[in-house]
Amino acid sequence: MLSQTADFPEMTPFEPVSLAVDGVSLSRGGLRLVSDLGFALTPGEALLLTGANGTGKTTLMRALAGLVRPDAGQVRCDRPVEDAIAWLGHSDGLKPGESLRLALRFWADIHGTSRKAILPLMRQLDIVPLIDRPAGQLSRGQQRRAGLVRAALANRPVWLLDEPAGPLDGAGRDRLARLVAWHRGRGGVVLAATHQTLDWPDVKHLALKAAA
Amino acid sequence: MTGMGAIFWREVRLAWAGGGGPAGPAAFFLAAITLAPLAIGPDPDLLAAAGPGLMAFAALLSVLQSAERLYGEDFADGTLDLYALLPLGLPLLSLAKTLGQGVATLWPLPFIALLGGLMYGVPPLPSLMLAAAMAAAIPALVLLAGFAGALAAGVRRGGLLIALIATPMMVPVLIFAAGAGRAGFEGDERALANLGLTAAVSLGTIALAPFGIAAAIRSRLG
Repeated sequence: MLSQTADFPEMTPFEPVSLAVDGVSLSRGGLRLVSDLGFALTPGEALLLTGANGTGKTTLMRALAGLVRPDAGQVRCDRPVEDAIAWLGHSDGLKPGESLRLALRFWADIHGTSRKAILPLMRQLDIVPLIDRPAGQLSRGQQRRAGLVRAALANRPVWLLDEPAGPLDGAGRDRLARLVAWHRGRGGVVLAATHQTLDWPDVKHLALKAAA
Repeated sequence: MTGMGAIFWREVRLAWAGGGGPAGPAAFFLAAITLAPLAIGPDPDLLAAAGPGLMAFAALLSVLQSAERLYGEDFADGTLDLYALLPLGLPLLSLAKTLGQGVATLWPLPFIALLGGLMYGVPPLPSLMLAAAMAAAIPALVLLAGFAGALAAGVRRGGLLIALIATPMMVPVLIFAAGAGRAGFEGDERALANLGLTAAVSLGTIALAPFGIAAAIRSRLG
């Protein structure tokens, strides 16, 4: 089959985008998690966010997406959040009764991405044979792969991925690495929270520590 | 606008695919109006007089009954996070989503109300008036249920919260929709006025509720 050598869909490079975090403090449920955090990412860069459970990785990602307001400091992005962010959270945002075909078509349409991009991306993540299965019948790893395709279909420059490799097998992690490399090649920015060691080339690391 | 269409049709599709479409609310509504006469007794005049009010009341309850699913599932499976990041914006999105759900799951209610009216001995014209009032009431009912559902998304025992929040807000629609049917039955010309008021409440809710739903979603996600 072609699946190993197939190409990524033709999508134009992104307008340069940068993301900067300045003196951000975050808390959750009244508990301070992150204090005075700062970093900046420029086009093509990737950042891996590590740290024990409960150190605020997800909260930081939600703050970057504008879903949570920081206690102090600011998140600066030179584009509005809706035009900049592609989000892959804890859950994949799939509906158990909806087939991947219909779900991915919907997400492509609503983001104004061509439906022609769906199959090449599914091929990249090796889930083409599952296209007519309802998401509820897929394994966790297969759902994650579908979630990654959905995030890529958003065609947004900043990817925020929360545990992207969590349920993936070894081959899945390789495919994730290729997908991320493709995105960075287009001038995209990737920020991923992870417990696994992801051997992506040339990435920045940021370790969150438990608050004192 | 294309975004709103996509959201609307997805909701319609999902309501049929996973939720049994209109079966839940319709079955609830049918059961309520079939059981009520058994409790009220067989007096035909009493049944015909109580019919319009009972119908409006049962419709309100059947809308409430499915309100928890409206935003609870999207909250649980992460869809709400994704929706919040769409350029469409949450107010328009929640309007399209809620009306899509309403159309897909509640469309049989006016027809059942028409049949129910006849079954209770309400003459055909007032029964039609009742069905029209029910159709006019559905946007308001479903949006108010959506507002309560968004506030209760991801809350344990959200159903209780929804009942407490939505019931008082549904009072005007209940009064006007039932009033249209009742006035029609009594041959009172206020039936049309009541129908107009029902439609007015629905239009007002369409204009205002989406902002309330959007704010509720933001606060649940934050």
